[in-house]
Amino acid sequence: MTLRCGIMQAIKALGSSAPNTVLSVLKKGAFAPVANQIRQTHLPAPKPNEQRPYSPFQDASNMAELAVARLDDLLNWGRKGSIWPMTFGLACCAVEMMHIAAPRYDMDRYGVVFRASPRQSDVMIVAGTLTNKMAPALRKVYDQMPDPRWVISMGSCANGGGYYHYSYSVVRGCDRIVPVDIYVPGCPPTAEALLYGILQLQKKVKRMKSVQIWYRK
Amino acid sequence: MSVAKLLALDKVAKLFNIIKQNGGIRASLYKLYKQEELKDGVLVGEDKFGNKYYENPRYFYSRNRWVEYSEKVHLNYDASQVPAEWYGWLHYKTDLPPHQDPSRPHYKWMAEFTENLSGTTGQYTPYSTTRAKIEPWVPKPKTGA
Repeated sequence: MTLRCGIMQAIKALGSSAPNTVLSVLKKGAFAPVANQIRQTHLPAPKPNEQRPYSPFQDASNMAELAVARLDDLLNWGRKGSIWPMTFGLACCAVEMMHIAAPRYDMDRYGVVFRASPRQSDVMIVAGTLTNKMAPALRKVYDQMPDPRWVISMGSCANGGGYYHYSYSVVRGCDRIVPVDIYVPGCPPTAEALLYGILQLQKKVKRMKSVQIWYRK
Repeated sequence: MSVAKLLALDKVAKLFNIIKQNGGIRASLYKLYKQEELKDGVLVGEDKFGNKYYENPRYFYSRNRWVEYSEKVHLNYDASQVPAEWYGWLHYKTDLPPHQDPSRPHYKWMAEFTENLSGTTGQYTPYSTTRAKIEPWVPKPKTGA
């Protein structure tokens, strides 16, 4: 009996002495929103040996849902086949970005063509260190892009400041300025890595539900 | 030099040979649609996911080894579906494919190979012990009304 009491008291004491933040995080379930969000926006993980159909939308319950799902497939096919990036190089990553435009990696075969104007481009590749001075310009360019728009953050500097993380004049990750879809790690990432990032973006575009969400509304 | 070679007729013969090896005109067109390339080669091996590995030294280096992804993944193929055993052969780290290389280690603690699961529920999410910088606003439900 005394032993149990002792344990209870110890737990109570531990509870009161534990830092408030830890308790509040546990109470609010800080990881629950993340897990929930992944469950809502991500596809279920494929099993290695299952048959994979072209369309990620396979759970239509009636004809109308089937129709909007196929319309979405068509729309996404068009979008993922013509991803036009904004010509926007900030540092040495831009050299690798030039490489994927060159014949060896040849991004043209995926319908990826550099556009000089943000008003005609779909994706912005943040290639390099984003400085405080450049940040407003980057945001302005992002705001000028038409709506289904994506951002690829390329290299350590754009992902989280990288080498210049502790500098007085560098933004610690371009996701503080613009919402990022794909992070490509590396310093600088190889042209292959960036190309893989673009393919991952294509996958992401493929599961967009524009028409289906319009229909739900 | 023979006349056929002078007139580049051997190239035409090669084309017909490639089409024949890929299983006729229909199958060749399907393969072109799927992987945008039509090659002839020797089947070196197949992994447990059903990906097939080919080699043909007639093509120049770095294009002479390639993978044809499993029929099951259809158009959803991805470079990360090549398992670790075959990666080295495909990228010229070794000339020995896994079934001909006895020196490879096999430990029971080795993890099962998975492809890149980013964008699915199976993705890697780093575990963080720091408090979130941004907390979502959860509005209180109205009471009484």
